[in-house]
Amino acid sequence: MSSAPRWLRRSRPVFTLYMPTLPFVLFALFPLYFMFVTSFKTNAELYDVNSVPFWIGRGVTFGHYQLLSNDTFFWSWFVNSLMVSVAASAISVVLGVLAAYPLARLKFPGAESFGVAIFITYLVPPSLLFLPLSTVVNRLGLSDSLWSLVVTYPTFLVPFCTWLLMGYFRTVPKEIEECAMLDGCNRLQTLIRILLPVAVPGVICAALFAFTLSWNEFLYALVFVSPAELKTLTVGVFSELIRGDIYYWGGLMAGACIGSFPIVIAYVFFLDYYVSGLTAGAVK
Amino acid sequence: MAKPSPASTPVSRRVSRRQFLGAAAGGAAGLGGILAAGRAPAVAQTKELTFLTIASFVPDTDKELKRQLDEWGAKNKVKVRLDIIAHLQLVTKKASEVQARSGHDLTALGAGLGDADLYFDHLVDLNDVAADVAPKNGGWLNENDYLIRGKWKLLPWWMPPFPMAVRTDLLEQIGEKNPDTWEDWLRVGKKGKAIGHPLGIAIGHTGDANVTLLSILWSYGGSYVGKDGTTITINSKQTRQALDYVKRLYTEAMDPEVIAWDDASNNRCLNAGKCIAIHNPISAYESAKKDKVTIPGKAREIAEVIDHVNTPKGPVDRRTTTGYWCVGIWNFSKNVELAKDFLRYHFQPENQAKWVEAGHGFNMPFLANLTKHPVYKSDKQYRFIPEIAKVTVPPSWPGPTTAASQQVLDLYIIPDMFAQHATGKMSADQAIAWAEKEMQEIYAGRRRKV
Repeated sequence: MSSAPRWLRRSRPVFTLYMPTLPFVLFALFPLYFMFVTSFKTNAELYDVNSVPFWIGRGVTFGHYQLLSNDTFFWSWFVNSLMVSVAASAISVVLGVLAAYPLARLKFPGAESFGVAIFITYLVPPSLLFLPLSTVVNRLGLSDSLWSLVVTYPTFLVPFCTWLLMGYFRTVPKEIEECAMLDGCNRLQTLIRILLPVAVPGVICAALFAFTLSWNEFLYALVFVSPAELKTLTVGVFSELIRGDIYYWGGLMAGACIGSFPIVIAYVFFLDYYVSGLTAGAVK
Repeated sequence: MAKPSPASTPVSRRVSRRQFLGAAAGGAAGLGGILAAGRAPAVAQTKELTFLTIASFVPDTDKELKRQLDEWGAKNKVKVRLDIIAHLQLVTKKASEVQARSGHDLTALGAGLGDADLYFDHLVDLNDVAADVAPKNGGWLNENDYLIRGKWKLLPWWMPPFPMAVRTDLLEQIGEKNPDTWEDWLRVGKKGKAIGHPLGIAIGHTGDANVTLLSILWSYGGSYVGKDGTTITINSKQTRQALDYVKRLYTEAMDPEVIAWDDASNNRCLNAGKCIAIHNPISAYESAKKDKVTIPGKAREIAEVIDHVNTPKGPVDRRTTTGYWCVGIWNFSKNVELAKDFLRYHFQPENQAKWVEAGHGFNMPFLANLTKHPVYKSDKQYRFIPEIAKVTVPPSWPGPTTAASQQVLDLYIIPDMFAQHATGKMSADQAIAWAEKEMQEIYAGRRRKV
């Protein structure tokens, strides 16, 4: 049997894998690249229509990053976003697991329609919910505190996590849980000791999504928190760097660059879990 | 005593269903109690005056406002807080505070006096403060414009007058001098476009488009609502003339991109060296000066060749409008008297003078004496600003400001009417008929709500 030359076998992935995916990679990375390049340009260059927008032509400036660090509460906003996103995601995943398990495993009247109803609540837009939620937040005495966000973000995170985890839990064979129960586990023990270790990719996927949605959230953060030092990253950057008809493009891009790092890092570390978590539920 | 091993106490670690339900019910009852009480737990109650405002177009204005608020707070031993948001976020923030009946004591309102009508039942009467402030500052510019349903529900705070910002070097290049009428600017735009420097007038969903297109409508003798505040007057010969003028402006003197412009686009067009002129407050010039933006391909700063001239005159009139930024006090505030006291302090002549100076004249108060502030003589760029203020009227002119007039602005009915004709999608008659129907529905709808 004749085999292809060694050089051809070695270079085959270049043509069959890397080159076909290259356009998609460039397309996906272009916004990040553009943000990064713009954040180091001088304002004079940003205004210059003759300058090439894709690279830096008139020298690098760190002025936009200095503006963020010295003239705004940028790092406070960053920490606020991190705290709120981590707390809201953790709460939502725990509640999501507790809601998804019975919906996926237990048979009771209306289980199916209840699952659909949970997903429908996710589809209610925050632009409708923020008005009644403002009353709730105020009555709880949480206005102008980060707790208002920790309490309200699960309103859209829990339905999503529940729906995603329901799909994942259904892919886990019932039989292993039944074995555990024969060995003496109750429902909660089965969930914690048997199902969750198997469902780690699904749980991480739900947590990642919850974190991303919380990190990007804008409306509730705008409405429920006013003091400058308590704002989240999305609202703080927008409030301070858009002044009427003057947009601080360099600063906005610098803020967006730094703001995208936690998401990038989270996805880099958990990408494999994320992919398997997303796709596992798809075939059941 | 030895610590019991987990295996030896299996029952104690379990939470029975009954215990769980009991704990959950207790928690829910506590939460329900707080919600039913309708007030927050009293963790710490200190007197604090809070003020929500928009990020000023000239940042030093905010610093001066904060300084005054801090100074007033220190004098009166009141904790103060100034919260700043982007002006586009104010609508959402106001709606949520009114819904929750909680939030800031003082709030910026606008752009437009219509908030006084929209939030009439949620704002404190400021008749006493308005009466105190006026005599010390030479009186209000046009007092009747600011009274909504006969009451001072807000104090008009500041406006950014709209001159024409023009590139003098390009004007010289095309052989034009002192353009003053809208027809002059059409000619300038045509010549400018021929050399790659079109005119920049927004016709999209932006505040600037509302301002400039209303200015053109009035300058041709048109209007959209009558003095009675109910008769829709958009269907007129004058509106047709204004529509035809804007169509010529769009097709002969501008680039199609103006249809998609936002508030920042005309600033960018001028400072990037593309536009020969724009109708805009002095913010574009201020940012060009601050950022040392140069003319493309040259070392010369673009701010050196920008000049600001009077808002253009039409065949009938010279009239314009602008963002009427106002300040009010929510009636659910627990510090109404403190808030009024701060307003009196802020509107003292010396504080207003410092505040106007910090804004480099961008933020002109609606008070007669302040239109003569020395800042308007400190730079030749500002020389027409007081003149423009005199011909600046509320957007509903000649009708009164109402919630309906505010809705016409917020839905960009005027820019859409002009855009539909300018782009050839509708004839002048069709565009007018469309706008008339929209406006009649808005005004009728608001009457039904009242």
